[in-house]
Amino acid sequence: MSKAASDEKGLRQSMAWIHTWLGLLAGWILFAMFLTGTASYFRPEITRWMQPELHLAPVAPRQAAETAVAHMQATSPDDLQWYIYLPDDRTPETRIFAMPKPDAEAKAPRKRRAEINLDPATGEPLNARETRGGEHFYRFHFQLQLPHPWGRWLAGLCAIFMLTAIISGVITHKRIFVDFFTLRWNKGQRSWLDAHNVSAVLALPFHAMITYTGLITLFVMYMPWPIAANYPKPAAFYTDAYGTEPDGKALGKAVPLQPIGPLVDAASREWQGGRPRTIVIRNPNDAAATVTILRSGAERLNARGESITYSGATGAKLTQSAPPGPALTTAGVMLGLHLGNFAGPVLRWTYFLLGLTGTAMVGTGLLLWTAKRRKPGARPFFGFRLVERLNIATIACLPAGMAAFLLSNRLIPAGLEGRAELEVKAMFWTWFGMAALALLRPVRRAWVEALALSAAAFAALPLVNMATTDRGLFASIAGGDWLFLSFDGAMIAIAALLGFGAWRAGQVKTAPASKRRTPRPTAMPAVAPAREAADVA
Amino acid sequence: MLGYAQPHMPQGTGMNRQSLLPSFLPSRRAWHMIARCVTALVGGYAAAAGIASLGARLLPIARVEATLWGMILSFLILASFGLWAFHERSLLKVALVIWGSALLSAGLTIAIGSRP
Repeated sequence: MSKAASDEKGLRQSMAWIHTWLGLLAGWILFAMFLTGTASYFRPEITRWMQPELHLAPVAPRQAAETAVAHMQATSPDDLQWYIYLPDDRTPETRIFAMPKPDAEAKAPRKRRAEINLDPATGEPLNARETRGGEHFYRFHFQLQLPHPWGRWLAGLCAIFMLTAIISGVITHKRIFVDFFTLRWNKGQRSWLDAHNVSAVLALPFHAMITYTGLITLFVMYMPWPIAANYPKPAAFYTDAYGTEPDGKALGKAVPLQPIGPLVDAASREWQGGRPRTIVIRNPNDAAATVTILRSGAERLNARGESITYSGATGAKLTQSAPPGPALTTAGVMLGLHLGNFAGPVLRWTYFLLGLTGTAMVGTGLLLWTAKRRKPGARPFFGFRLVERLNIATIACLPAGMAAFLLSNRLIPAGLEGRAELEVKAMFWTWFGMAALALLRPVRRAWVEALALSAAAFAALPLVNMATTDRGLFASIAGGDWLFLSFDGAMIAIAALLGFGAWRAGQVKTAPASKRRTPRPTAMPAVAPAREAADVA
Repeated sequence: MLGYAQPHMPQGTGMNRQSLLPSFLPSRRAWHMIARCVTALVGGYAAAAGIASLGARLLPIARVEATLWGMILSFLILASFGLWAFHERSLLKVALVIWGSALLSAGLTIAIGSRP
C-alpha cells in the first residue's frame, strides 16, 4: 500500500472513531435538541393552539402600538423602561413588559415586571389560560430546563460535538454520494447504517448550517474573547454591533410622551414600508425620554433588524442604526437562517421536515451504535445495556412527553393557578416516568410499548381537543380554521409515524445482523478491513 | 511512550492495564486518553479563543467587523483542533501544538493590549 493510501486510511479510521464516540456522548441531548428545535419552527402557532379561547383579528402595528402605550400610561407611567412587542402575521397579540425604576433604598437587583399579553385592538389584558405555549419547546431546545447558564453551556458543548461529528462523518464516509442512493431494508446493522447515511447526506447542508448557526445564536456567550481583545468596555461593542442605546439618565423634568402612532409610521417610511416589530421606550414622560423602534426580522434573511431612535419628548429622530458591514451581515444572516423567521409557509414546512431528518440522523446514529455491537447469544456488557436503555428513554419516550405537554394544556382546568408550570411538569414526569417504567420491560417490548404509547398520546390530541374546545377537527373544516386543521393533521401524521415505528420494532428479527464477524465490544474500532471499519463506524 | 494512546490503532497490540496498579485505577492508556480529551476540549477552546482574539485584534478593519469575524470563525478553529487532536498519534505533539497555540496567541493578545 502506498503511503498516501495508508495516510488516507489512517485519517478515515481516526475520523470514524471520533465520529462514533462524539456522536454517542452528545447523541441523546442532541436528539432532544433537534426534536424540540424542530417543533419550535411553529412556536407562535403552538402558542395559539394552546390558547384556543383567543380569537384575535389582525391589527396594524400603529394601532397596536397606540393601545399598548395607552395601557402602560394607565398602569405604570413612571417606569424606567417599557418593552412592547407588536403583533405580526403569526402572533396576533401584543406582548409587553416593563422595567421599574430601581428602588433607591433596597439594594435588590432590578427585576422586570411580569409579561402581559394585550388585545392589540383595545389594549386590554387578554383573558386566556396561562401557558408557556411554544415558548417552552423553544427554551428547552437551548436551555435544556437547567439553571442559567448551565443549560446554554451544555447545549453549546453538544453543538460543537455535533459540528465535529458532521465534519468527521463526511471525512469517514468516502462514498458519500454513492451510498446516498442505497437503502437496504431488513438487513439489521446494514439498514441502520443506510438510514443514518441517507438522513445525514440528504440534508447535509441543512445539518451543517443549522449546527454552525446554532453556535452563532449564542456566540457572545460562548466566545466573548475577541470582544475583550478589541473593546476595553464591552458595552461599546453592543452599541457598535447592535445599536443598543446606552441607558440614558432621566432628567427629572416631566414632559408628556409624544404620541406613538406618528413615530411608528415614520419608522416604517424610513424602511420603505418595513414593518416595526419591537418598541423600547426609556424614561417615559421625562424630558430625556427615547423611543427606539426595531424592524421586524420576519421580512428579510438578516434577522438583525434595523433600528431608529426618536426623542420621546419632541419626536425628533436622534439616531439610526448604521448599514451593517460584511461580518455583521454574515452574523445576522446566520441568525436568520437558524431561526427561520423569514420563511413563508412552504419554506417553514421544509424547515420542519429537514429538522425531522436531523432528528432521524441522530436517532439512527444512536441505534447504529448498538446494532454494531449486538452479539447474539452473549450477555451484553454494561455499557451496551446503558446505551440501549438511554436510546429507548430518548427516542421512544421524549415524544410522549411532548404530547403530554400538549394534552395537559387541554386537561388542566383553564383557570387553575400555576397551570403553566403544571404543563411543563407533565412533560418531564411523562418522559422520565415512561423511561423508568421501560426499564422493567425487556428491551424489545420496551421499544414497542414506548413507541406505541407515544403514538397513542399524539393520536389522542385531536380527540381531546375536540372534546374540550369548540375548535375540534370538524369545526375547523367547517369554519376554515387552517391553524387548528393543520395542527390536528400534524398530530395524526406524527402518531402514524410513531405507530409505524412501534410496528417495525415488533418485526425486527433476532437473527444476527450479518455473517460478518461481529465487532468486539471495545472502546476501539474492531479489527476489520479498512473500508468496512471506516464506513460502518 | 506518549504515542501509546492511538485511537485508530487496532486493539490488542499490547495490554493496556499495568499489572502493578490496583485494577480500579485508570490504566496508563486511559490517562493518556483523558489527557487527550482535556487537551482537545479545554485546550482546543483556549486555542480557538486565543487565535480568534489575536486575529480580531490584528485585522486592519473596523473593530466591530474584526471582532465579529473572530467570533464567527472561532468555532471552525475549535472543531479543527478537536479533530486533529484525535487524529495525530503523538500525544506530546498534540499537547505542544494546542496548548502552545493557546498560550502564544493569548499571550500576544494580552501583550498587544486592547484597541485604543
